[in-house]
Amino acid sequence: MRERRRHQHRMRLKVGDEGHLSDLESGQKAVVLNFHNDNPALRRRLLDMGITKGVVIEIKKIAPFGDPVDIGLRGYELCVRRADMASIDIKVLE
Amino acid sequence: MKIALVGNQNSGKTTLFNQLTGTKQKVGNWPGVTIERKEGLIIGTKLEIVDLPGVYSLSPYSTEEEVSRHFVMEENPDLIINIIDATSIERSLYLTTQLLELDCDVIVALNMSDILEKNGISIDTRKLSDKLGVSIVSISAKKNLGVDQLIKLIETGKYRKNPRQRIYEQDIERLIAGIEAELPTKHKRFAAVKIIEKDREYKALITEEINQKIITLEASYAMDSEQLIADQRYQYVVRLKDESAKIAKRGETITDKLDKVFLNKYLALPIFALIMGVIYFLAVGLVGGLTIDFIGALFDGSATIDVLGREVPFSIAGLGPLIRAGLGWLGASQWAISLVVDGILGGFGAVSSFLPQLIILFLCLALLETTGYMSRIAFFLDRLFKKFGLSGKSLIPFIVGSGCSVPGIMASRTIENEEERHTTIMLTPFVPCSAKLPIIALFASYFFASYAWLITLSLYFLAIIVILVSAIILRKFMYKGTVSSYLSELPNYHTPNAVYVFRDVFDKILSFIKKAGTVIVLCSIVVWFLASFTWNFQYVDGVLYHIENSILAGIGNALAWIFYPMLEGTWSWAATVSAIQGLIAKEQVVGSLEVIAGLEGNGASVFESESFNFFTGWSSYAFMVFNLFSAPCIAAIAAMRKELGSTKSMVKAILFQTGIAWVLATLIGVIGWVIL
Repeated sequence: MRERRRHQHRMRLKVGDEGHLSDLESGQKAVVLNFHNDNPALRRRLLDMGITKGVVIEIKKIAPFGDPVDIGLRGYELCVRRADMASIDIKVLE
Repeated sequence: MKIALVGNQNSGKTTLFNQLTGTKQKVGNWPGVTIERKEGLIIGTKLEIVDLPGVYSLSPYSTEEEVSRHFVMEENPDLIINIIDATSIERSLYLTTQLLELDCDVIVALNMSDILEKNGISIDTRKLSDKLGVSIVSISAKKNLGVDQLIKLIETGKYRKNPRQRIYEQDIERLIAGIEAELPTKHKRFAAVKIIEKDREYKALITEEINQKIITLEASYAMDSEQLIADQRYQYVVRLKDESAKIAKRGETITDKLDKVFLNKYLALPIFALIMGVIYFLAVGLVGGLTIDFIGALFDGSATIDVLGREVPFSIAGLGPLIRAGLGWLGASQWAISLVVDGILGGFGAVSSFLPQLIILFLCLALLETTGYMSRIAFFLDRLFKKFGLSGKSLIPFIVGSGCSVPGIMASRTIENEEERHTTIMLTPFVPCSAKLPIIALFASYFFASYAWLITLSLYFLAIIVILVSAIILRKFMYKGTVSSYLSELPNYHTPNAVYVFRDVFDKILSFIKKAGTVIVLCSIVVWFLASFTWNFQYVDGVLYHIENSILAGIGNALAWIFYPMLEGTWSWAATVSAIQGLIAKEQVVGSLEVIAGLEGNGASVFESESFNFFTGWSSYAFMVFNLFSAPCIAAIAAMRKELGSTKSMVKAILFQTGIAWVLATLIGVIGWVIL
């Protein structure tokens, strides 16, 4: 519940704003600035999947219940949970 | 010569493997169809090829990926065919950069080359081949294009040898070269990179001197070494891609358009419920209503049959009465006739009358798997499953498990988190599998007639509730652990390949018939024997000795107390022994009911026979619930043992499942017995 309320009150990030990947809405595009996941195995996997500094990520599809999210990067799409997206710092491009 | 087939998930490895070897391994349109290595020979050659589970990198994340890493690194293949999905070339080549660090030659098979143009992609394969330093063959595994060239290239051996390209910045390359020179292991370059990444498995090889150099490197690039290596690999891949491929900006694809409907905020759940409803309405309601009585009549003979609740004249002598008459004419003894007609034919007939329904069920499941919809269900239910301590990925074992628990349990290997995986393994047998369908169909069609499909659906919903509640219990008490993550892909929607779908359904049906012809027939003979003889081996002839004096009744009477409350206070040895036989195969429950009823010899149907005429709507529902949720069949138990990794966990799982089944069934039975 708490999580949902936070989403409702969240301000839409504008071009040039910095935030977390989980803050973006469908169709927005952002560049990855940094990424700090505590779980080493998951961090490794996200790196392998191409989430590195400077990569451009677009929010493609959001699951009907709001989570997980299908993101587009490097010419393919990947489904990630919002909780894991929160560990990725971004700057909004579009 | 040993060749490994390596590539990302859902990139078409198994499809290529089938083309190369002429075999018919199962393919599907979701990541993680292949969970074990499969070996074969390339047609017309002595080249051994191994199909491996899909991987994104050589740092395995889940158990089935470890199979692939282990094979390419430890079992020394002579050649790796790296299959690349040409429509997502960037991520695919990332894996290639790792494979090229091994002491092994690599050929790149650029798959899905037939749909590149449609996707606005053009790849200059010669240029890419030169830059990468490996031979590239454009293929379409699905349409069998370019596969011959690939085989020829392997046979002639005229492919490029591993060039050991330098792909990192100079200072990193210098460090790699320095470490490599000191290493005693094989795959030196790969190991050197792993050491720089400070990979746990290579920790022992990191000396203080190397550590210092890594720290210097990290400082100059302002990121940790693991990130640095991944970043450098991707930078290299992007350079390759920019130089050799043109990718037009893509508009909305058909998949995107379909997802706007199937993954719509408001429509997704109703559509899902509708699809599942239609599957069980078709299989149990419509087709079952049309065929069960018809096939029953073929075996038992009748004057009329019940078609969707209507009596239709259908006069047929029936196989059973015909054989009975024929054997009698030949002078066979009473017990021999009974063995053939009541034992063998009774059991086999009872089980095979559900074939048409199973064909429909298997067909629907094959469609779910091949169209790409199954991954969507996992995607949108993840949020819900997460709340219960499961992952959306648990859904794939559950759906596969509605065909058969054994592959369902094995499909759990794609779940990375161990607690979630074990929970999923223990819950998969709760999904009503195809062998349980005959039990449901038999009871539901008799006691609930034209509402049979609704009753079936209610059992599936009950299964979902039981699974979710059990998940909470298991995650709270047995498999405590942190919430894991969900990483997956949504495959593009495909029109199902009719040949593959047909073959998949055919294989499953064939194995069902085989089981009915072997296991079920054998069990039916045993049941017939135990029910036909007394403890003193006197034949139960219905005159001197009655079925109540039989060995089977004796066994049943010893355990009937277990079922007493759920059968609304009925002491039934016959129902007891039938339920226990579910351990051998769930459809044997139906086989046993039929054999025991048949032995009473008055030609009445199962629920009109003396042994089973006590069943009411409530007790039949309770009995179904017990059979659905109690310990699965022996094959599924073995699969649980294998995937859970210990006999102790397996025993716990069986006790847990049977406990829940008994409590639920008893509850339902007692409600019908005492309250109503």
